[in-house]
Amino acid sequence: MSRGRDRISPVALVGLLIGAAIMVAPLVWTLLLSLKSNSELMRDSAAAFSPPYTLENYHAILAASLVPRWLLNSLIVSLGTTAGVLILCSLAGYGFARLQFPFRRTLLALVLIGLAIPEQAVILPRHQLFAQLGLHNSYPGLMLPGLVAPFGVFFMTQYFRAIPVELDEAAMLDGASRFTLFWKVLLPLTLPAQATLGVFTFLGSWNDYWWPLISATTSDRFTLTVGLASSQMNYAQTSGLGFLMAQAVFASIPILVVYVLFQKQIVRAMAGAAVR
Amino acid sequence: MIGPRSGSTWQGYAFVGPFVALYCFLLIYPLFMGIEISFNRADLFGNREFVGLENYRRLFADPIFHQAVATTFKLTLLIVPTLTVITLLLALALNRATRTAGVLRGVFFSSSVLSVTILTLIWRFVLTPDAGLIAKLLGVFGWEPIPFLSDPDLTVPALAIATVWWSLGLPMMLFLAGLQQIPGDIYEAAALDRASRWTTFWKVTLPSLRGVLILVIMLQTAAQLQIFGQAQLLTSGGPSGRSRPIVLYIYELAFGRWELGYAIAAAEVLFLLVLVITALQYWAVSRTKADR
Amino acid sequence: MIMLAALLLSGCLQTDDRTTIVVQRFFGECGAVYGTSTDVATAESECGILMTMINAFEAANPDVRVKINVVAWPGYPQLSAQFAAGDPPDLVTMHQSVISDYQARGLLDPMDGLLAQAGITAEDFTAAGRAGVIKDGQIYAMPWDTVGGLFHINTALMAEAGLMREGRPILPESPEQLLDHARHFRAATGKPYLIQAQVNDPATHVRNLYTYLLAQDAQIFPDARTIRINTPRAREIVKLLRTIHADGLTTRSQDFSAATQAFTNGEGGIFPVGTWMIGPYEEEARTPGRPLYNSYAVMPYPSLYGRPAAFVDGHAWIMPKRKRSDPELRAISRFLGFLAERNYDWTRTGHLPAFKSVLDLPQFEALPHRGDIAAMAATGGQLPAYVQRQSAIQGLLAEEIEAAVTGLKPVDTALEDAERRVNELLSQML
Repeated sequence: MSRGRDRISPVALVGLLIGAAIMVAPLVWTLLLSLKSNSELMRDSAAAFSPPYTLENYHAILAASLVPRWLLNSLIVSLGTTAGVLILCSLAGYGFARLQFPFRRTLLALVLIGLAIPEQAVILPRHQLFAQLGLHNSYPGLMLPGLVAPFGVFFMTQYFRAIPVELDEAAMLDGASRFTLFWKVLLPLTLPAQATLGVFTFLGSWNDYWWPLISATTSDRFTLTVGLASSQMNYAQTSGLGFLMAQAVFASIPILVVYVLFQKQIVRAMAGAAVR
Repeated sequence: MIGPRSGSTWQGYAFVGPFVALYCFLLIYPLFMGIEISFNRADLFGNREFVGLENYRRLFADPIFHQAVATTFKLTLLIVPTLTVITLLLALALNRATRTAGVLRGVFFSSSVLSVTILTLIWRFVLTPDAGLIAKLLGVFGWEPIPFLSDPDLTVPALAIATVWWSLGLPMMLFLAGLQQIPGDIYEAAALDRASRWTTFWKVTLPSLRGVLILVIMLQTAAQLQIFGQAQLLTSGGPSGRSRPIVLYIYELAFGRWELGYAIAAAEVLFLLVLVITALQYWAVSRTKADR
Repeated sequence: MIMLAALLLSGCLQTDDRTTIVVQRFFGECGAVYGTSTDVATAESECGILMTMINAFEAANPDVRVKINVVAWPGYPQLSAQFAAGDPPDLVTMHQSVISDYQARGLLDPMDGLLAQAGITAEDFTAAGRAGVIKDGQIYAMPWDTVGGLFHINTALMAEAGLMREGRPILPESPEQLLDHARHFRAATGKPYLIQAQVNDPATHVRNLYTYLLAQDAQIFPDARTIRINTPRAREIVKLLRTIHADGLTTRSQDFSAATQAFTNGEGGIFPVGTWMIGPYEEEARTPGRPLYNSYAVMPYPSLYGRPAAFVDGHAWIMPKRKRSDPELRAISRFLGFLAERNYDWTRTGHLPAFKSVLDLPQFEALPHRGDIAAMAATGGQLPAYVQRQSAIQGLLAEEIEAAVTGLKPVDTALEDAERRVNELLSQML
C-alpha cells in the first residue's frame, strides 16, 4: 500500500476512529461478559463494566463442553474443503485453459452456468440425495457440497490462460509429460491465485451454516456454527450469559490468531480477486 | 485455443473430469431433481403427489411469501448501498502505507472472520433491551432501552446493521486492491491540471474503480438476497414475520411445515429472482458502458 | 495451532468400545455447572436435573456411552431434518401433543417391549401420561411429566397493591376484574401487573388462547383438517390480551429469558408461564436478600371465562424408527428404566409426574406449592388426539396473535389470517 498522501487527514481520522470504536466495542463487550460470573450477570449485565473478573467460564468450556470438539470439526471441514477445492479447480482450470478435447467449450459453458445457481436452489434436493446415499453426519458429507466451486474453476482457468504458452512449449521440448508440466512448471506460478481462492473457500466453509445445520445430526459432528446456534436460542436455560460469551470468544480465538499472524498474506490474497 | 495442441482427449478429461463429474452430480442433478419435486405436493419423508404448477400458483397468492420477498428486498436495499459507500470511503482513507492505516485496515476486516453464529451471539447482547450493550449505555444517561429485536420498525434495520458490521472486510479489500491498480501518472496529470481532490475523485478515481464497484455491488446483492442465519438466530423472523427473509421462509416450509415441494418451489423463485436481478445489474452496467 | 489440533484430536478420537446411544433433548445447555456432576439430588432446573441424571446413568453403566444432542427449543425442525437425512437419534424429548404427527407417518418405533424389559407397563403411567403416549393401542413414548401454564406471583408486590387476603393472592374472576386489578396494581406499585414473554415464545400466546377456549368448551378443531379460531370467543380473548398490552399492564418486548429474569428481579406482579419455573423461583424465594425472598406463590390460571381450565401438555421420550442392534436396544431400555426410577427428581422442577407411584411419595407431597397447583391435574385438557402438526400450528397462531396483541393488525384480521394459514397447512398434509 503505497499511494495516497502519507498522513490521514484529521477529519478522516476522527471518522475512522469512531468507526473503529463501533467495530471494536461489541467485541470488547463480549470479552468482558465472558470474564464475569454468571450469577452476577443474571442480576444485571452492566456488571461487566467493573471487576471482579474471573476465568471460570473458560474453565467450564475446557472441562465439560463440546466447544473444542466443534472447533476441531470446523477446522477439519474447512481445511478439507479448501484442499479439495484447490486441487479440483487447479486441475480443471488447467484442463480448460490449455488442453484441447471434444466438448471443451460446452463443458466450460456448463460450469459457468453454475456461477448463477445459488445454493438455496439446490440445498433441499441435495439433502434428499445425500440421505439416499447415507452421506449425512459425516465429514465427507459436510465437505462435498463445498467442493462444487464453479467460481474457482473460472478463476483458475483465467489465471492459467494468463501464463505465457512459451513456458509449456519449452518444458515439452525438454520431454516433460503433461502432468509434470502442470505440476512442476505451471502450478508453482499459480500460488498467488491458490492463496486467493484458498482464503475465500476457507472463510466460506468456516461460515457455512445452513448445510451443516441440516446435515450434521449428532453433536459430535456439529461444526461451530451449528453447535453455538442451539445454545444461543435457548440461553435462558443455559448456564448463563458469561458462559455463552466465553464460548463465542473461545470459538473465535483460533481464527482471529491466524488472521493476525497472516494478515499481510490474507490481504494480498483477497486483493488478488479484484486484480483479475 | 492458446495451449500447445499435443494434449490427447483422455488427458483433457483427466484434468477436468473430477470437477465436472462432481459438479454435475452435486449441482446440476439436484437442480433438476428440485424442479421435478416442485411440481409435486411432497413432504419431507418421501410422500409425493403430482400437482403440476399448483405450488407456484400458491406462492403467487401467498401473502407470507410476498412479505418475505419484500423483507428480503428491504434488507438488500438497506445493506448493499450502505456497505458499498462505507467500504469505498474506508478504502480511500486507508489506502496508504502508514502504520495507523495498517492497524485500522486490520480492525475493519477483523469481523469478517467471525462465523454467523458468533456474529449473532455478539449482536444479540449488543441489541437486546434487557441485557444488551446499547441498553446499558443508554441506561447510564437514564434513557429507556430500545427494543431492536422485537419492534416491527426496528428488526429489519437491526439485522442490516449487524450484517454491515460483519461484511465490511471483503468489499474494503476489493476496493483497496482496485485503488492499487490505478497508475500513478493519472494522478500526477490531474495534479498538473490543478484538479481539486473532489474532481480527481469523480474524474479519475471512481471511473478507474468501476470494475471493482460493479463486482462489489453484484456480489453483495446476490449474497444479501440469500440472507438467512442472522434473521433466524437474532429475530426468528419476528415480530409476526416482519423480518423473515425468503430463505428463512424456505427453511420453515421445509423443516417446520414439512412442505418440501412448496419449499423447493419457493427456492426456485428465489433462484429466478437472483438471476434476473444480477442480469439486470449486468445489463445496466454494459449499457452505460456503451453510452460512453 | 498444529499442536492444539493434535491435542484436540487425541482427546476426541479415542477408540471406544462401549455401546453408544444418541439422546436428543431440549431444556437448554448447562454444561458449565453440571457438566460432570452426578449428584441428581442437589441439581436444580430442568437442564441441571436431566444432565446429572444422564451423567449418573453413564457412571452406573460403564459399558454404555450416551451421546447428547442439545437442540434449540423445541427442536422439531432439526428433528425433521434428521428424519429426512435418514439418521435420527435413539431417544428424543418430545411434547406429547406432537407425538401423533410422527407416529401417524410411521416414523416412530412402538416401545411396549423395551419398556416391559425395564419393568414398566402402561399401568404405571398417570392417566394424562397414558393418554399422551398411547396411539392405536401401542405405547409410542415413555411419558415424562405433565406440564401446564400457571400464574407465578410476587406476593410482596401483590400485598403492596392490596391484592392479598389471608396470605393468599386474590386473582380476578372475570376479564373486567383482571383489568381492574391490573390498573390498580400499576397505580399502587408503579410496575406492570403481568410479566409476559411475548417475543419469540410462541407457547405464551397460544397457551393463553387455548386455555380460555377450552374453558368455554369451544371446539377449536372440529376435525383433523379444520381449525375454527376466527370466532367471537377467540376474538374476545385476544382483545383482552391486546388491551393488557396496549394499556401498559404488562411488560413488553421481553423474550423468555428477559421475562424470567424480570420476575426474579421483582419487576412485575404475575408471570404466566409453565410449571417448570416453580423449582427455580422457589429457590429464589428461599434466598434471603433476593426480591422474591418469602414472596412467591403459584396458582393455576384464574377462571376468567366459563369453567376452570388449563391447556396442558407433557414431555415424553420417543424412539425414532431405525435399525438398532440388540445391545443398543438393551442400553436404551436400561436408560429408560433408570430415568423412570428418578421421575420424582424431575418433578422437583415443578412438573407433575408421569408415573403414578411418584404421586404417593411423601417427599413429592412435601414439595412446595404442590397443593396449590393440584387442581391442574383435574382441569387440564389437551387438544383432540387427531390434531396433527400442533407444533407448526402453534408457530402460525403465535405469529398472528402477536400481531394482534402488539397492534400490528386488527384482532379480526389477525384471527382470520390465522385461521386461513392453519387450514392451508392442514389441507396440504399428505
